[in-house]
Amino acid sequence: MQLDAKIPGGPLAEKWDRHRFELKLVSPANKKKFNIIVVGTGLAGGAASASLAELGYNVKTFCIQDSPRRAHSIAAQGGINAAKNYQNDGDSVWRLFYDTIKGGDFRAREANVYRLAQLSVNIIDQCVAQGVPFARDYGGLLANRSFGGAQVSRTFYAKGQTGQQLLLGAYGALSRQIKAGKVTMFPRREMMDLVVINGRARGIVTRHLITGEIETHAADAVVLCSGGYGNLFYLSTNAMSSNVSAAFRAYKRGAFFANPCFVQIHPTCIPVHGHYQSKLTLMSESLRNDGRVWVPKKPGDRRPPAEIPEEERDYYLENKYPSFGNLVPRDVASRNAKEQCDMGKGVGETGLAVYLDFSDAIARDGRKAIEKKYGNLFQMYEKITGENPYETPMKIYPAVHYTMGGLWVDYNLMSNLEGLFVLGEANFSDHGANRLGASALMQGLADGYFIIPYTIGGYLAGTVLEQVSTDHPEFVDAVSGVKERIDRLLKTNGHRTADEFHRQLGKILWDYCGMARNDEGLAKARQMVTELHQEFLEDVVIPGSAGDFNQSLEKAARIEDFFEFAPVMIDDALSRRESCGCHFNEAFQTEENEAKRDDEHGCHVAVWEYAGQNEPPVLHREPLVFENVELTQRSYK
Amino acid sequence: MKSINLTLKVWRQERGSDKGRFETYDATGISTDMSFLEMLDVVNERLTLEGKEPIAFDHDCREGICGMCGAMVNGYAHGHESGTTLCQLHMRHFSDGDTIVIEPWRSRAFKVVKDLVVDRSAFDKIIQEGGYISVNTGGAPDGNTIPVPQDVAEKAMDAASCIGCGACVAACPNGSAMLFVGAKISQFALLPQGRPEAKDRVLAMLNMHDELGFGNCSNERECEARCPKNISIVNIARMNREFIKAALLSE
Amino acid sequence: MQLVLRIIRTSIGKKLLMAFTGLCFCCFLVIHLAGNLSVYGGADTFNSYVNHLHSLGVLVHIAELALLVLAIVHIVTGTVLFIENLRARPVRYSVTRRSGGRTWGSATMPYTGFLILVFLVCHISWFIYAGREYQTVYQILTGLFSNPVVILLYCAAVLVVALHISHGFWSLFQTFGLNHNAYMPAIRALGIIFAVIVAMGFGTIPLYLGL
Ligand SMILES: Cc1cc2nc3c(=O)[nH]c(=O)nc-3n(C[C@H](O)[C@H](O)[C@H](O)COP(=O)(O)OP(=O)(O)OC[C@H]3O[C@@H](n4cnc5c(N)ncnc54)[C@H](O)[C@@H]3O)c2cc1C
Ligand code: FES
Repeated sequence: MQLDAKIPGGPLAEKWDRHRFELKLVSPANKKKFNIIVVGTGLAGGAASASLAELGYNVKTFCIQDSPRRAHSIAAQGGINAAKNYQNDGDSVWRLFYDTIKGGDFRAREANVYRLAQLSVNIIDQCVAQGVPFARDYGGLLANRSFGGAQVSRTFYAKGQTGQQLLLGAYGALSRQIKAGKVTMFPRREMMDLVVINGRARGIVTRHLITGEIETHAADAVVLCSGGYGNLFYLSTNAMSSNVSAAFRAYKRGAFFANPCFVQIHPTCIPVHGHYQSKLTLMSESLRNDGRVWVPKKPGDRRPPAEIPEEERDYYLENKYPSFGNLVPRDVASRNAKEQCDMGKGVGETGLAVYLDFSDAIARDGRKAIEKKYGNLFQMYEKITGENPYETPMKIYPAVHYTMGGLWVDYNLMSNLEGLFVLGEANFSDHGANRLGASALMQGLADGYFIIPYTIGGYLAGTVLEQVSTDHPEFVDAVSGVKERIDRLLKTNGHRTADEFHRQLGKILWDYCGMARNDEGLAKARQMVTELHQEFLEDVVIPGSAGDFNQSLEKAARIEDFFEFAPVMIDDALSRRESCGCHFNEAFQTEENEAKRDDEHGCHVAVWEYAGQNEPPVLHREPLVFENVELTQRSYK
Repeated sequence: MKSINLTLKVWRQERGSDKGRFETYDATGISTDMSFLEMLDVVNERLTLEGKEPIAFDHDCREGICGMCGAMVNGYAHGHESGTTLCQLHMRHFSDGDTIVIEPWRSRAFKVVKDLVVDRSAFDKIIQEGGYISVNTGGAPDGNTIPVPQDVAEKAMDAASCIGCGACVAACPNGSAMLFVGAKISQFALLPQGRPEAKDRVLAMLNMHDELGFGNCSNERECEARCPKNISIVNIARMNREFIKAALLSE
Repeated sequence: MQLVLRIIRTSIGKKLLMAFTGLCFCCFLVIHLAGNLSVYGGADTFNSYVNHLHSLGVLVHIAELALLVLAIVHIVTGTVLFIENLRARPVRYSVTRRSGGRTWGSATMPYTGFLILVFLVCHISWFIYAGREYQTVYQILTGLFSNPVVILLYCAAVLVVALHISHGFWSLFQTFGLNHNAYMPAIRALGIIFAVIVAMGFGTIPLYLGL
């Protein structure tokens, strides 16, 4: 099967302009005849809903939370990249493009990434016009910081709440369209299935989370912006309702899933401290600008940090990577922390933590300066752990953070299922095998504000769509499928809670399909997941009824999807015969224990097709062609 | 790790139309490292295994930014620690043997959905009246064409940090949402981009505030004291100025 | 017309009414107190002050009328706000706590306001029915304040007024939008000082006359 990414011809820098010119247009008068469904109100969904409504389309927008303003994008802290070169430090569209491609370990499409870098510039302008209170320099112009190991300062930020401010900007634009009657907002709705008619996505089935009602919505196109699936691991930095369900239901309806095993593990999170724990909190990456990472040299050294003399400390990142030191990319930093802990050098009660020490920075710049930069982060750390990071080093450990994998899309952000568009973290498109800091916000907004408004028009103008109503047999079928599934879940009436299963599933995946993987472990995990899934089907207990506000039921349904999805992810990890970016298979490493790519056999997108319940999914490969950059081994020495 | 035993008195209400009541539960062996929501998770897990319905409560990010969580804990919105959301309140601030009374936000504009879950869509309705700057996508000028003095940008940011949790309404003896509205009005009143619509914005948003049944501000300052993001009532004063300008002084 | 509606209908409009009338009463209190302090000059000084005041004739009546209108606006608006605020929380909390914002002054505004109204009615009727034809105002006062119960009630009323001011004074600045991080602490302090001055100023007079 040949996957057509529909990448326009011509030189890299002109592809998007050219494509925009070639795309068909829907005339202004006709736009109001089209109905579009947007699932999700994060940066991608919020921006898309508002922009499409402004153009004149009729938009129906759905989200799980009680308000569109609470989508998970709200939690992003650090910032958003843009190739503005306001700092005159040598940044350019090309450099942002190159950094992103290289950071992704050469597993993303050149054309997509270049377009992303181009559009980054417009995003900042748009957000400033919306009143996003970005940080400013003394002269009143926009401030930048360097982030995530970039060698230029291109990250725009609003305190430690950049995601919140960008999302509130998009939420404002969305609210304006709701008021104008162009967007109908459906909060507290969960998409339970995608409806495909004649090979095209034509609607969705949702559950009203308060009344339990199963509802149907028909449209001319469905835009999925449902975020990432990091919660698969149970413990992650993601919000509790982040899920794979929307994407996975689309997958079961025929949409292809790309690179499911590419999961980013963020190096600076507050470590796990108990079985009951529900969430891992991210400490912004910017902390690594001034904090020094170390562990005791001697394995099993249980002395408190202050009693460990300088010469008995191992500043392993600085020693191993003299030129980047503590600022190596996320995947490298994470893997090294795990390595140290595996050697028994980990600290804290569980031995699964390393120190991030600010004492040198405080001695050098003074407590005031550090407080100004990181005050709110230190406060948050103290709130959660009860320890004061000004006095004792922080303890950090990696945690699941972002999923580069997602539904496969072409250059138009359309899946192989016609009429199904996928934006934001839910698609796989731009970050390859590893995402650079501050580029997810950029991608979500580029997709929503500046790509979908064009490409959806191209699809709608170039396609003859028959009239479809929610009485169509496909809708009726989908509804009864959803109802049966809910009944089945509720009837199980076993002895273990859905959370308990989720915890176990997460642990299996974290241990065997996390920061470091090997074939044996993956095969074992595959087996364990299948067994646990079976137990889940027989032994889960879900109180309450279907026709009510039932959070246990919501959770259980999402966890069931995680159970079905996990094997696809494990298969993907097994089938990729190389290490790249976040995917580290121990069998493929350089002498210095770095990820070793195999550009001859691994230079592709792994694309999975659903083949039926209990059938192994089918793997397709979309080859990646690099015409503009040279593939090099990443080195941060 | 320390562990404590608590008695919870929790408001239980099947659905909005039902009459609710307090139920008492034991929360035993609670680690002091847990967050308040994790403590409720433990209780819920037990209730589920006993075949009872767990306590419904809203939550999502569990790191104090989405504004989804919130309840009255012993009479304090989000609990007694200041500058904290419920999900960031840790059990180390409670003592062994404590009795904790947990109630939903109470306001005419926030109806109870179930147990501790309330409907805060009133906030969305207020924002829809003008809590934005009317620009379409595309065509924005370069970001640096509008300089904003650093201190002004910071003030706007402080106002904009509202998470829309509703604690201000819950804590206000009058059930007023003026801190919420004032924060949004302030953000745009401060920024040059927001000035063109300032007049219509303040009138429309305040009209909606009143229409939805929120109470009137009488400067009790409880909102400011309980706001998890420490948003100041200076923002309410700024909104009042904007109102005076728009309603009384403009032509 | 639209202007009037905006003020009467909107929440902030009503608060502005409260603040404006409150401000007028604060000014009135200052003048009233200044006049009353002439008591310390003895019977003659005080009586001449009173006579001087009465010689203003129609001006006094205008002032009285204005005060009456202000009072009606303040009372009616206050009552409306009180009822609206009660209705904004139909189901009450079973446990309520203060977090440091609310003060005794702010929490009791509607009640102190009501008590002040009662006091005013007594205060004014005393003077109307006191029979000013055959005795001077100074005599009326000394007569009245020879009764310890009256002294006690009067002092209590003055304290209630002070409590009302302790919140009302700074609050009216906030309502007018005059809250600035740099000046607000001073304004709040001024409010307290003003309340104390009112309490001391008015409160010592009966003690001076009666004891
Ligand atoms: C703690 C943290 C910090 C981060 N910091 C940064 C940063 O500094 N810079 C950066 O660039 N990136 C950062 N990221 C990543 C970035 O925030 C996300 O990748 C991005 O916001 C995803 O946006 P989205 O619009 O794709 O999805 P989301 O914001 O996750 O939105 C998903 C939406 O889909 C809805 N939804 C999901 N499933 C369904 C369903 N079944 N039915 C109906 N609705 C559904 C949800 O309700 C929600 O509205 C961070 C992430 C985390 C977790
Ligand atoms: S759960 Fe998001 S703020 Fe508490």
